[in-house]
Amino acid sequence: MAFLQRTFEKRDLRDPGFIRAIFSNTWLAPLWLAARLYLGYQWLIAGSHKVWGENRWIAVSGPDGLALRSFWQKAIAIPEQGKPPISYDWYRHFLTFMLDHEWYRWFSWVIALGETVAGILLIVGAFAGLAALAGAFMNFNYLLAGTAATNPVLFVIAMLIFFGWKVAGWIGVDRWLLPTLGTPWQPGPVFRADAPLE
Amino acid sequence: MNKALVLVGGVVAWAVVAATAILVVFNMGEKNQVLMFLPILAVVVAAWFIGELVTQRVFTGHEKGV
Repeated sequence: MAFLQRTFEKRDLRDPGFIRAIFSNTWLAPLWLAARLYLGYQWLIAGSHKVWGENRWIAVSGPDGLALRSFWQKAIAIPEQGKPPISYDWYRHFLTFMLDHEWYRWFSWVIALGETVAGILLIVGAFAGLAALAGAFMNFNYLLAGTAATNPVLFVIAMLIFFGWKVAGWIGVDRWLLPTLGTPWQPGPVFRADAPLE
Repeated sequence: MNKALVLVGGVVAWAVVAATAILVVFNMGEKNQVLMFLPILAVVVAAWFIGELVTQRVFTGHEKGV
């Protein structure tokens, strides 16, 4: 069993210098800012269409989420010829379950506000990594539902920002927010009784 | 300088960034996605300067003996 012990013993494998330079060094903060602004603006535009305006998804006269219901209905439809929009049966069952239980009424709020808030957080650089991850999760779901559009590109940018969470918000609110709040594995002064805020 | 005042100033600076982004989306939408970057970038740079030159200096000044 020595080979098992050798295989699974604790080892820290260090990233090469260029990876650390990209994802952990503040010198590329301007590049992360550009990526954040682009992605944030895309989410803010997408969210704004759903929150405000004539074709908004929420706070409409009548039941909310009819636009989302229509989107889900198209997504789960299986055409007589050709491939269905959704490739995975489990995802089609998931959307069908949500349709049957009229979840689109409240889920439209989650999507509309989620896209808007993710956009604002990315632009100001507050919790940029988490905002990017939330955006990537939405892209992932839209892709599973058969909508390509800009989702693949936005997904890649979001994942890059997520992996660069330490520096992505350096030119932003994270510059002060992360050192103050810290992380779950290293709490900041706000969550440590022994560390004064000043 | 009053630390609370500086902190509020820093928060307001980034709130202005968020407000500008929302206003730009409302007024420019998807018409020109290059031009729309300019006002947002301008307020981001302004907020960043306020943070680096004012907020940071006031809050870390005592550590450097300033």
